[in-house]
Amino acid sequence: MDSSVIELDDLEVRFGKRAILKKLKASLTGRSIGLLGPNGAGKSTLLNTLLGFHKPSSGTARIFGRDIRTHAREVRSLIGYMPENDSFIASMSGVRFVRLMAELAGLPHEHALERAHEAFFYVGLGEVRYRALGTYSLGMKQSAKLAQAIAHGPKLLFLDEPTNGLDPPARARMIQLIQEIRDRGDLHIMVSSHLLRDVEECCDEVLILKDGNIAAFCNLEEERRSNRRFLEIETHGSNNGDFLTSMEKLGCETAQGAQGRIKLILPDGLEVRRLYEVAAEQNVQIRRLNHKRDSLEDIFLKAMETGDAK
Amino acid sequence: MAVYKKTYRPYEGALTSSWRRLLVIPRYAFEDLYRSKFLTIFFLASFIQPLVAAILIYVQHNAAVFNLVGAQGANRLISINVTFFMSNLGWQSMLALFLASFIGPGQVSPDLANNALSLYLARPFSRTEYVLGKMSVLLILLSMMTWIPGLLLFSYQGYLEGWEWMKTNIRFATGIFFGAWIWILILSLLALALSAWVKWKPAAGGLMFGVFFVAAGFGATINGVQRTNWGHLFNISYLIGSVWVWLFEGSNKTTNGAVFFRAPQGEELPLWCSWTALAVLCLICLYMLARKIRGMEVVR
Amino acid sequence: MSGNTTITFSNVSRFYGEVLGINKVSLAIPPGITSLVGPNGSGKTTLMNLLTGLIRPTQGEIRVLGIAPDHPEKLCRLVGYCAQFDAFPKGLTGYQFIYSFLRMYGWSNQECEQRSMAALQMAGLQDAANRPVAAYSKGMRQRVKLAQATAHDPQVLILDEPLNGLDPLARAEAIALFRQWGDKGRHVIVSSHILHEVDRISDQVILLSQGYVVAEGQIHSVRSEVKEQPMQILVRCDRPGMLAARLFQQDHVVEAKVSPDGKGLLLRTKDADSFYLLLNKVILDSGLEVESVAPADDDVNSVYQYLIGAEGATV
Repeated sequence: MDSSVIELDDLEVRFGKRAILKKLKASLTGRSIGLLGPNGAGKSTLLNTLLGFHKPSSGTARIFGRDIRTHAREVRSLIGYMPENDSFIASMSGVRFVRLMAELAGLPHEHALERAHEAFFYVGLGEVRYRALGTYSLGMKQSAKLAQAIAHGPKLLFLDEPTNGLDPPARARMIQLIQEIRDRGDLHIMVSSHLLRDVEECCDEVLILKDGNIAAFCNLEEERRSNRRFLEIETHGSNNGDFLTSMEKLGCETAQGAQGRIKLILPDGLEVRRLYEVAAEQNVQIRRLNHKRDSLEDIFLKAMETGDAK
Repeated sequence: MAVYKKTYRPYEGALTSSWRRLLVIPRYAFEDLYRSKFLTIFFLASFIQPLVAAILIYVQHNAAVFNLVGAQGANRLISINVTFFMSNLGWQSMLALFLASFIGPGQVSPDLANNALSLYLARPFSRTEYVLGKMSVLLILLSMMTWIPGLLLFSYQGYLEGWEWMKTNIRFATGIFFGAWIWILILSLLALALSAWVKWKPAAGGLMFGVFFVAAGFGATINGVQRTNWGHLFNISYLIGSVWVWLFEGSNKTTNGAVFFRAPQGEELPLWCSWTALAVLCLICLYMLARKIRGMEVVR
Repeated sequence: MSGNTTITFSNVSRFYGEVLGINKVSLAIPPGITSLVGPNGSGKTTLMNLLTGLIRPTQGEIRVLGIAPDHPEKLCRLVGYCAQFDAFPKGLTGYQFIYSFLRMYGWSNQECEQRSMAALQMAGLQDAANRPVAAYSKGMRQRVKLAQATAHDPQVLILDEPLNGLDPLARAEAIALFRQWGDKGRHVIVSSHILHEVDRISDQVILLSQGYVVAEGQIHSVRSEVKEQPMQILVRCDRPGMLAARLFQQDHVVEAKVSPDGKGLLLRTKDADSFYLLLNKVILDSGLEVESVAPADDDVNSVYQYLIGAEGATV
């Protein structure tokens, strides 16, 4: 897919004299794009500008080729938005609310009702869709927000902290839902979150902002495919020292990792099988074995450091 | 056997036009209002007065009924003139105030209470369309209560009296129409502005009354203390009354305004002052709305 | 004098009318970082409110370092509380917020000023100290809440979802801070939904579900006590079927499940040691290519699944 989903073209946004977003230039094409950054980096401002709540002071951005300054309405009919804060009308039932939102997005009213029901079943709230939104629990409200974002069949979803406040099973369900949506291919997603693990599980590309600039932009898929030679293992049953020395003798670089684990870099030509041979000789159990690539945390920390130089 | 799974489908169909989208808001509002038995009954009851007025017109023109009632001599018991139409308008407009106080607060505040407005504005839907949509709820209902029955009464009287009467008294019709519209606009803007600023519905409703009666009292106090007429600027019913007098009668005033909307002769302010005061009120309401109806709050 | 270094609950119950908050809870919380984990509505906030004395138990006794919550003058000096909710007195700046609450402890102006500045420094908010709290971003508001909870140097810190809204750097800083306090011998009680963080930072864990304490203690010891459950291990390899066949020849393997993509095996065994040695042998004998091996068991997430699972959740 060559055409970009979101294209930032020297986008600059100011509040009075302060420049919040400074001449951002990027072309985002992934199925699922993560938006990361410390507080105050401009993430919410970027989202709000793309949604049309803010006017850019110079430069522009394009979503599916449409300019947000001149074609704002068209852009908004292609977008679904799941805000970070609570957003609902307490006295309305779930279905009625989503139906209202779908009709306002341009759907004819018969279709809107059908799709409202479908959306509720899809997010897992089928049983409670007739209850008033004010009676929903926090997890239900989050899912209802997602339902209203997808009901009108947008091409791009903005999810702002989708797992905020959810307990572990509800978080797992929300992540699963996002992954399903991503894997469909016809609906792009932009996830803004503080939880690196969520972004790691849901996104292909990551845009990291710092102080209104782009600190890093990387493709997680490529990161995952490279670095096959990095391993992290946990052993049991011997002096770690013996095992380590044998590994080094085979040509590996070793280092002590977190939680008592060992990080290894295998030299070219050395297979994992050799590790097990050594383990069998020394009667060592390899209790954990992982191909470890640069996790998103490392990428993020690196970006924070180099970002200062810009 | 085919097994179907519930899944997400993209939407490829046609989208509705901007106008139809705007009308979505009043449609939903009417459905919600209809659910309240009290409001439906109140609304229907507000047609009682015009009905009584229509019966009076009928009685005026029907000697037979007159005889039945036994009031032969009192031919022109009730004259269908300026006072008749103005007081009709006055009654309906007071009822309109009540209705606006019941309905108005519930229009905008539920959307602001839980931040649903960002979702409205994240769609191809602008702030102006939102305000217009909400206003149209009030405009439609209040129109049905005020100038529509008024004009019907006028046409009924004209039908019974003849074309000549209608031509001479066409001022009544324009007075009813424009007078009612001015009142409706003020009410709607005020109701929406209060609904946007005051979260608690009973408080917003109470404020509607407050703006009329308390401000009027304040104005009367000023008049009393300062021995002037300028206090009337705070009295919205005076302002409306004086505008109505001008609409209905032009320069030869005979009335003192309508019932509830008194503009006593001898205490008048120049007409342009009334117009200006009303215009200022509208602008204040629009400003209040513009401040509150936004995609997101920004606190510096 | 163990009474003065633990927080104890003795058969505590708390009801709100008929609605259950927590029921018959008995705990002894040692110093260090203790995490409270459980679905929404399981009683975590009730537990925290009981500790701070904001509510009283319907039944049972609570002692915080030997002091009962009936004596707020003594208790509140010891305890710092950071609530879950995003609410502030209107119109205060960050500095005023911390300063005004400090004054209630009876210290002098200078002392309060010093402490406020120190707390703001620690939270990284010195520059924003004179702006109203309403103008802060969500992360800054969270940090000012934390600063307020710690400004009076309490011995016991009760933090309800303290990392909510913080960006990854701020989370790491906050976690380092908790670690510091835990190492100094203070009680840090944190409630959180992010299980992998709980894994990393806590010394002990309390699992709550529907008002009952389902488990408490250190993760590894909790796991080993759930004896009915054999150890669960996930092996990603190219021929899971062949591996499974070899495993079933042993007695200790109870269950083996091939993963949906056909490239992994989830197995349960009563004897982990024998399994690992066996795996080693299989790899060398048959040339099995192993991508990863991981115990699927040894963390809060799996204990949560076993004991609370999806039915305990509220959605």
